[in-house]
Amino acid sequence: MKSSAFSLLPLLAFVAAFAGGPLVLPEFYVTLLNYIGLYAIVALGLVLLTGVGGLTSFGQAAFVGLGAYTTAYLTTVHGVSPWLTLPAGFLVTAAVALSLGFITLRLSGHFLPLGTIAWGISLYYLFGNVSFLGGHTGITSIPALDFFGIELKSGREFYYLIWAALLVIVLATRNLLDSREGRAIRALKGGTLMAEAMGVDTPRSKIVIFTVAALYACLSGWLYAHLQRFVNPTPFSLTQGIEYLFMVVIGGVAHVWGAILGAGLITILKQWLQDWLPQVLGQSGNFEIVVFGLLMIFVLHRARDGLWPIILRMLPEHTDRPRVPEAEALPRRPVPAANAVLLDVKDATKRFGGLVANNKMNFNVRAGEVMALIGPNGAGKSTLFNGISGVDSLTSGEVTFCGERIEALAARHIARRGMSRTFQHVRLLPTMSVLENVAIGAHLRGRKNFIHAALRIERDEEARLLHEAALQIEHCGLREHMYDIASSLPLGKQRIVEIARALATDPCLLLLDEPAAGLRYREKRALADLLRRLRGEGMGILLVEHDMDFVMGLADRVVVMEFGEKLAEGLPAEVQSNPAVLDAYLGGVE
Amino acid sequence: MKIKAVIAALFAAATGSASVAYADINVGVTLSATGPAASLGIPEKNTFPLMPTTIGGQKINYIVLDDASDTTTAVKNTKKLIAENKVDVIIGSTITPNSLAMVDVAAEAETPMIAMAASARIVDPMDAKRHWVFKTPQNDAQMAIAIVEHMTSNNVKTVAYIGFSDAYGEGWWNEFQKIAEARKLNIVANERFNRADTSVTGQVLKILSAKPDAVLVGGAGTPAALPQKSLKEKGYKGIMYQTHGVANADFLRVCGKDCEGTVLPAGPVLVAAQLPDSNPVKKAALEYVTKYETANGKGSVSTFGAHAWDAGKLLANAVPEALKKAQPGSKEFRKALRDALEGTKNLTGAHGVFNMSPQDHLGFDQRARVMVKIEGGNWKYVQ
Amino acid sequence: MDLQIALLLGQDGVTNGAVYALLALALVLVFAVTRVIFIPQGEFVAFGALTLASLQAGKLPGTLWLLLGMGIAVALIEIAISVRDRHLQRIPSIALLNVGVPLVLAGALFVVSPATLPLPVQVVLSLMMVVPLGPMIYRLAFQPIAEASVLVLLIVSVAVHVTLIGLGLFFFGAEGSRTPAFTDMSFEIGDALLQGQTVLVVVASVVLIGALFFFFERTIYGKALRATAMNRTGARLMGISATVAGKLSFTLAALIGAFSGVLISPITTVYYDSGFLIGLKGFVGAIIGGLASYPVAAAGAILVGLLESYSSFWASAFKEVIVFTLIIPVLLWRSLNTRHVEEE
Repeated sequence: MKSSAFSLLPLLAFVAAFAGGPLVLPEFYVTLLNYIGLYAIVALGLVLLTGVGGLTSFGQAAFVGLGAYTTAYLTTVHGVSPWLTLPAGFLVTAAVALSLGFITLRLSGHFLPLGTIAWGISLYYLFGNVSFLGGHTGITSIPALDFFGIELKSGREFYYLIWAALLVIVLATRNLLDSREGRAIRALKGGTLMAEAMGVDTPRSKIVIFTVAALYACLSGWLYAHLQRFVNPTPFSLTQGIEYLFMVVIGGVAHVWGAILGAGLITILKQWLQDWLPQVLGQSGNFEIVVFGLLMIFVLHRARDGLWPIILRMLPEHTDRPRVPEAEALPRRPVPAANAVLLDVKDATKRFGGLVANNKMNFNVRAGEVMALIGPNGAGKSTLFNGISGVDSLTSGEVTFCGERIEALAARHIARRGMSRTFQHVRLLPTMSVLENVAIGAHLRGRKNFIHAALRIERDEEARLLHEAALQIEHCGLREHMYDIASSLPLGKQRIVEIARALATDPCLLLLDEPAAGLRYREKRALADLLRRLRGEGMGILLVEHDMDFVMGLADRVVVMEFGEKLAEGLPAEVQSNPAVLDAYLGGVE
Repeated sequence: MKIKAVIAALFAAATGSASVAYADINVGVTLSATGPAASLGIPEKNTFPLMPTTIGGQKINYIVLDDASDTTTAVKNTKKLIAENKVDVIIGSTITPNSLAMVDVAAEAETPMIAMAASARIVDPMDAKRHWVFKTPQNDAQMAIAIVEHMTSNNVKTVAYIGFSDAYGEGWWNEFQKIAEARKLNIVANERFNRADTSVTGQVLKILSAKPDAVLVGGAGTPAALPQKSLKEKGYKGIMYQTHGVANADFLRVCGKDCEGTVLPAGPVLVAAQLPDSNPVKKAALEYVTKYETANGKGSVSTFGAHAWDAGKLLANAVPEALKKAQPGSKEFRKALRDALEGTKNLTGAHGVFNMSPQDHLGFDQRARVMVKIEGGNWKYVQ
Repeated sequence: MDLQIALLLGQDGVTNGAVYALLALALVLVFAVTRVIFIPQGEFVAFGALTLASLQAGKLPGTLWLLLGMGIAVALIEIAISVRDRHLQRIPSIALLNVGVPLVLAGALFVVSPATLPLPVQVVLSLMMVVPLGPMIYRLAFQPIAEASVLVLLIVSVAVHVTLIGLGLFFFGAEGSRTPAFTDMSFEIGDALLQGQTVLVVVASVVLIGALFFFFERTIYGKALRATAMNRTGARLMGISATVAGKLSFTLAALIGAFSGVLISPITTVYYDSGFLIGLKGFVGAIIGGLASYPVAAAGAILVGLLESYSSFWASAFKEVIVFTLIIPVLLWRSLNTRHVEEE
């Protein structure tokens, strides 16, 4: 997240405009702002879901419909107070979102957006064909909201309600994103592999943002029903669902303020076109949507990340860096007894169809030693890493970690038990700072959930997590890069960031996949020093590496793999003189 | 010329005000010229340029907006017309849900509204809100009664219904089913289809297996031809009924010979030239048909445009009355206009004769519908 | 439901499914090559059918003006680039291809009354007017942002769709059209009548799918497209231009779309906005194929057609609810079966 002083700027402007707007604006502008507010609430959900979490949904309009129909039905048929129908709507929406999410969030890749299209259309036609919901014709005479005796009938009165709701949601969303859970959500976009390996329960994170986005939409629907005092299915169709997505992409899908910008821009642009196009082109045709479509193509050609980033660039660059808060250190896990067997791999086998990637691999790693896994490219080292760390499942074999069988466990459960890893292809979140990336590692060591984060009552814990992240960054010698954007670092340094992130999980066993690749000589020496220091503290380290000088100078024991099988095992010197190993490495010169 | 208009428009947009001349009467119109109801909304839109530009010596400005068949946009348009254009009366919208959604807005702003959508729910039951709302199209019920009467007098015992899966098809089903039940007609199938469906084979087979004496198609415009063509293709021999929603030349073009013998109720404007001279509506209906076809080409007229025309007729009749009491642009004028609309008596429009009352904000009688048969690829007036 | 009804429904489902399958193939092709989820695919169906209908009514179809307008836009951009890169010798061919050909087409239609031409000529003329819109849309809307994210490409795709719908309403009006059948033949199976045109739709779809298969397996351009679909960077290194591949895939998609439109317009009424729903169902088929496999996509599309046909018989009011709800478990099953571990 951006620094606090900087990100306050739009917020302050927002609040000022919010409070003063209706006093000076003409009636219809207030009306427009009301609709913008309603759209922005839904769009914010999409920022969370699509922009941050990477899950594209076309179905948000259907959730708006759930909110609107729940209150329309309960207030008109059963005479329930509108203030009670809001929680009722939340309940209905949450129930539907949880069950839909349970199915659709299992869909991967392009199946997910299509899944949302499918139930979006289903719900739309359901609204139109269920007779107690007024069918296609709709429900009339929905009562106005009554706020302590004031009937919110006019647009100006309603304005305050809508924009107060939007303000609350903006704050809650920002708080949420700037927290432990928020980092876990942001980690989803880079694929679930890394997040899971850092102990994030990604299915849970997905379903939570899905539900939160649905609840935002439901709130918007509830407000809509009482503003419009009429509901029928058309505003909840797939077309509208696409339009919400349109708004966030134009505004800036990854930015909270992008949602409001997009909602405002599209609403106002449509009005503007409606006003002046007939004067330019005459009344005969309907060119509004044509010109609208062309404009949108043009905008996306110029600003494919949406318009908010462009505005950000025009704002003055902020110089004040956030300080890492002083906080009590996090508790550490007890150091395992020296030389105790941490990891024991027995007959680990992995097949991909007919291809045997790992065949009956056996070895172990002890506390306070560096075990190196070497072998030519394609020997199956990374596959074995994935199998051990739970990123992928083994076909057969046993993996015991700290006396517990773990081969059936998911990566996040293994991470919780004290094993952490880095990736051969660096998996950092490119737009986040080094500090935030490393703090993802500390995810496991916090407890506070989404609600705490949204209400910002988890600051103590957050301070401790950031403090820990900063500590590990310093530990790895990256202090001067703490606030840099991760993607701005050279690849070699990014590897070190990965190590810092792994260390932030407080592991007793560290799995490093080619940590020295891309490092310069001095950096390699620093890395070796770091690993020696960790070893001295009692950590077990399993290392995959190609740089033989690095390996031989550091490792206590070496396992050599070829064609998925163990070729040799022993002390570095023994292995180096093993004829089979020489043969494999020199390509069978006879 | 155009550049000037652009600058004026930009200026208006920038200053947040449309150019409003307060002495004129402003008529705000929102209709569905795009979206699913476009085939209804476009002829309505084309009718406004034909309307009088002065009434009772006052200049009339028509501000016509498109609501894309969407309720939110219809309400937004209504609010805009009231707040920005300070309209004295609102005409619209084309379809029932949009009109229903607009009722609250118009009533709250105490602005009379004349809907161009069919459902009786727009003006009935009369209450404080509908006090401000009038409509020009015949109620679905009135049309449905005509169909049911035609059925019973032609020995139809069993009937199947297939209608649009939208407010139009639903409104017709509700009315038709009520009346048919009362007249002891046995409804053996009730099917729905989408306007843009490419096939209705499933529905048609279901209808055929119920062996009805007659089938009623509840759809508007060319899409209503699909079920009928499919039924013919599968060898259906019973009587076919359509609703007045199909009453335009495109329907005949698309349905072709498959629609021969189809019976439907319609506003008299559809067969204006064939009406006997004694029919009071003939002259008014022909006037509209001539004007519309002069502007838009021969055979282009549809009954939907005539609903807009009738709204204009109501205004032309009521505005002089209202002008006696107050100046346009004022709350008093809007109220006077409403009262004058409600007091409409014996006004002949293209669709019938209006006799409004505080309880009846449509005011049509039997003269507002005729039975029509498709013969030789043309609409044929049936006595 | 007796056997005869079941068979008739099955036949109806297969006919619709065949058209969805064609569109599914086009969508898979466009996505695989360009990563664009091509929402406007359906508009080509509508434009193809309605252009033909306009010709038959003796009118000049609006698509002609669209072709001319887009041709001029493309020509201006390309000429500007040629001038900048000092490739002045390319200008005549650019102008001829993008503006000259549409002008000749327009001139021809002014001279000859299109309504009097034989049906096959009308079909060819319609395709000539609609198909070039495909590569032109690629050039104008997608080529400048070819490297953007799938989401951005999708939103641009929606914007193109919205624009085309608006133009379609302006060109063809709100009411629909039908065209005369290619054949008046009909077959009697039991006591049911099978229209020749229905058979033609299925046969033509199968032939077209076969032709596509041949194109991808046997021709150099087809192989180039497949290579691009599998590995964009690799294909570029092998000298296959992403731009050419993109334009080619859009041309094929437009051809498939417009041809489908011409095929179905004798058996159903086509409207300016018909395309979206047809395209969406093709899209469902394509997704079931994982946006990668042509045969599975075609099978998925047929499945959608059948689901639709049977549910319109059992509960027509809930047809879309049933079809789209039943799609979800299919998606789930497909999703679980197409396991793709993230690249490590």
